[in-house]
Amino acid sequence: MTRILAILASLLRGLLQAAFIVMLTFFLCRVMPGDVVDVLGLEGGLSAEQQAEMRHSLGLDQPLPLQLVNWVGHALAGDFGRSIRFDRPVGEMLGTALPVTAKLAALSFCFGVALALLLAVAATARPSRWLDAAIDVVNTWSIAVPTFCAGVAAILVFSIWLGWLPVIGGLLVPVLVIGLDNAGQIVKSLREELREAVMLPHVRTARAKGLSPWRIAFAHVLPAAMPVVLALSGLVLGGLVAGSLTMEVLFGLPGLGSLTLNAIHGRDYPIILAAVTLIALALVAINTVVDMLHRLIDPRLS
Amino acid sequence: MRPILDIADLGIAIAGRRVVRDLSFSIAPGETMALIGESGSGKSMTAAAIMGLLPPGARIAERSRLRFDGLPLRPEDDAAMRPLRGRAMSMVFQDPMSCLNPFMTVAGQIDEALQRLGTGNRAFSSEVDTGSREENPSKQRDGEFSRFGETRKYSSGQRRARILELLALVELPDPAAIARRYPHELSGGQQQRVMLAMALAAEPRLLIADEPTSALDATVQAEILRLLKNLQRRLGNALLFITHDLAAAAELAHRIVVMQAGRAVEYGPAAIVLADPREDYTRKLVSTRRMLAAPPQTPPVARASEPVLRIEELVHDYPARRILGRPFRSLHGVSLAIAPGETLGIVGESGSGKSTLARLAIGLARPGGGEITLFGTSIARMARLDRALRRRCQIIFQNPYGALNPRLSVEAAMREPLELLGLSNRDDRRRIEAALVDVGLGGDHLARYPHQLSGGQRQRVCIARALLSEPELLICDEIVSALDATVQMQVIAMLKALQAKRGFAMMFVGHDIEIVRWVSDRIAVMHRGRIVEQGPATAIVTAPQDPYTQTLMAAMPGSIGSATAAGRGEWRTPFKEHVG
Repeated sequence: MTRILAILASLLRGLLQAAFIVMLTFFLCRVMPGDVVDVLGLEGGLSAEQQAEMRHSLGLDQPLPLQLVNWVGHALAGDFGRSIRFDRPVGEMLGTALPVTAKLAALSFCFGVALALLLAVAATARPSRWLDAAIDVVNTWSIAVPTFCAGVAAILVFSIWLGWLPVIGGLLVPVLVIGLDNAGQIVKSLREELREAVMLPHVRTARAKGLSPWRIAFAHVLPAAMPVVLALSGLVLGGLVAGSLTMEVLFGLPGLGSLTLNAIHGRDYPIILAAVTLIALALVAINTVVDMLHRLIDPRLS
Repeated sequence: MRPILDIADLGIAIAGRRVVRDLSFSIAPGETMALIGESGSGKSMTAAAIMGLLPPGARIAERSRLRFDGLPLRPEDDAAMRPLRGRAMSMVFQDPMSCLNPFMTVAGQIDEALQRLGTGNRAFSSEVDTGSREENPSKQRDGEFSRFGETRKYSSGQRRARILELLALVELPDPAAIARRYPHELSGGQQQRVMLAMALAAEPRLLIADEPTSALDATVQAEILRLLKNLQRRLGNALLFITHDLAAAAELAHRIVVMQAGRAVEYGPAAIVLADPREDYTRKLVSTRRMLAAPPQTPPVARASEPVLRIEELVHDYPARRILGRPFRSLHGVSLAIAPGETLGIVGESGSGKSTLARLAIGLARPGGGEITLFGTSIARMARLDRALRRRCQIIFQNPYGALNPRLSVEAAMREPLELLGLSNRDDRRRIEAALVDVGLGGDHLARYPHQLSGGQRQRVCIARALLSEPELLICDEIVSALDATVQMQVIAMLKALQAKRGFAMMFVGHDIEIVRWVSDRIAVMHRGRIVEQGPATAIVTAPQDPYTQTLMAAMPGSIGSATAAGRGEWRTPFKEHVG
């Protein structure tokens, strides 16, 4: 009962955060100099009367709070409006873009966290200079090499020099690039956290029981470091949205990132808002899951 | 008979500092050896070395010879030690709460210990072990020890039955229910029993118990010691019992090694060492115990005058941790009074509410109900005490490490209360120096920082600081619990001498009945937020009326002189036989 209450509370907190993010995005869009009509006007040479008429028909001449309320009302009913530039339903456009991004983000997240965990746990179970060196390399790589550089380099190596890209195709290279970057962000902290967890008294008990180093690392050290693992994973998730945006543009993937970037350039408000809402809700959902996991792992919290 | 454990010239160094030097002793099969010493004497390091669990950075001297059942031990070779741990030798530690894995059920943790029983070589394949190629060299070394624990290989059903059997062995009620629980759902005593069950899973030939009762309440301590003794009789394992408590060692051990600063200063049969100690250090330890057993006789304080502190029907609640949760009531209507110059001892186990009471008495927390009168002023509804009241009452806490700001020198730390209480004037320095001299320190300590002082010296500084304002009431919350026995004795003797000189009243909170009794004129016994019994110190100790007080007094160790004189007498020695 209390467990369910706590989860509901964290869900509610998350939804409030999401609402705040959407609202902020709404107003920030409008603070940017020039609106969609200006952009279209520059491209198509519209007269001042035509522009005013267009603003009126799009509802852009109404007060901002009223526009927000209208949008929220429609959005709650599942209607995200039509793209101003492409004149297609926003829901449909997101529907085709979302799976691409979701797959990219999920795969690179899993790859990154798995790689970091594997390196850190291995270095805990069997401390060696080589593993520590490998951890340092991955860590330095992610600090020093921006993903777009790594992405360009990967294109150069895989598709131009090796000519593999047609064979591998699609997501593999961007997943490797983002995943490696994610792993580098967390692996060092993870290693340090595990190094400290090894000093815990219950780990000494496990050693006194004569368990193997791998069993100790997985069953006794890792659970103790789990809160930090989860917190670090959350950190990576936040960065994933930005990371996948770069990769989508670089590799020409028709995902949420490309869509949003184009929409921002064209001030295509409905798409921006819908995409941001979607991303915010996804993050809230993930955070709730992480919170539940945390409670599931640590019996003292239930 | 060949000794099960034979240690010769053991030396251990950590970062170049030698923590154990030239230590030699041996344990026969089925024998109990006690390793006695104060903190930093190297006793736990010795145990860690035997198990191969030394912290990183610790080195064992070249010439050290350790033999287990005739075969050489290589404590620094983890792979060689692993097959022995949990099979031929196992260990229980001091603080069972943090030594059990909080993420696993009791059954899961014992099961882990059972799973790897079986032949030394096969055990590895059943574990999560992908590095099996690196395992090969250790498998060959395993061979030497393969006769240990080779007999059984449990199926999961057998393991389940064995878990329940082990939990029953350590006298836990309802093993099936305990097995399903997580460590935080057990009491301290139950946790330590689970640790024992886990350590005994393989029926080891040597059990090492490193201060197994120090983190537990007095009544629980006595039970665990009795259990250790019974189990050893039944299972016939050798026991290396590490403790700072002479009485416990006298009770359990056949032979004793007394350690000081890494060396064995005395070695021999328990009865002889304790009854007739040869070395200065052992004598000091023994005389500390004897001193505790014979408290000073002070004339009763006249209680006619107005009490310095009067507490009536005091109630206190800790707020609920969750929405919809119930607040935790820590005090249920506590009443007491302290006369000028009198010492009231408050005795209770952890969670009994004694520290909460101490904090309320000096206005550091606000009561939920009841009345607190400090020097005739009611403070129960006051947001904070005014300067005049604060000057007249002072509090000293348990942890002298936390009570001193590490960035302030002793002089700066002691100047602070003078300034805060508006007592500062030109001869501050002289007064601070005089206060330090009073507690057995001196002017050369003024410029030192807390990390340059020992635990006992830090607590002396805290006492000197509290006495600077010449308070009429001193509240001492477990002030010697974190100190070694000999230091404890020095500190309370000094405190009593200061009290005789200055005549302040004291509320002396503690869990160690002997120490509280030594200090106090009257004692109040607390249990679950209530004072169950209150009266003159001697009467409470020798003729307790309340059933809880009776169990508390029964758990108190007897004086070692008589325990050893009577051979190895009953644990529950009634105290009154040793008074006077």
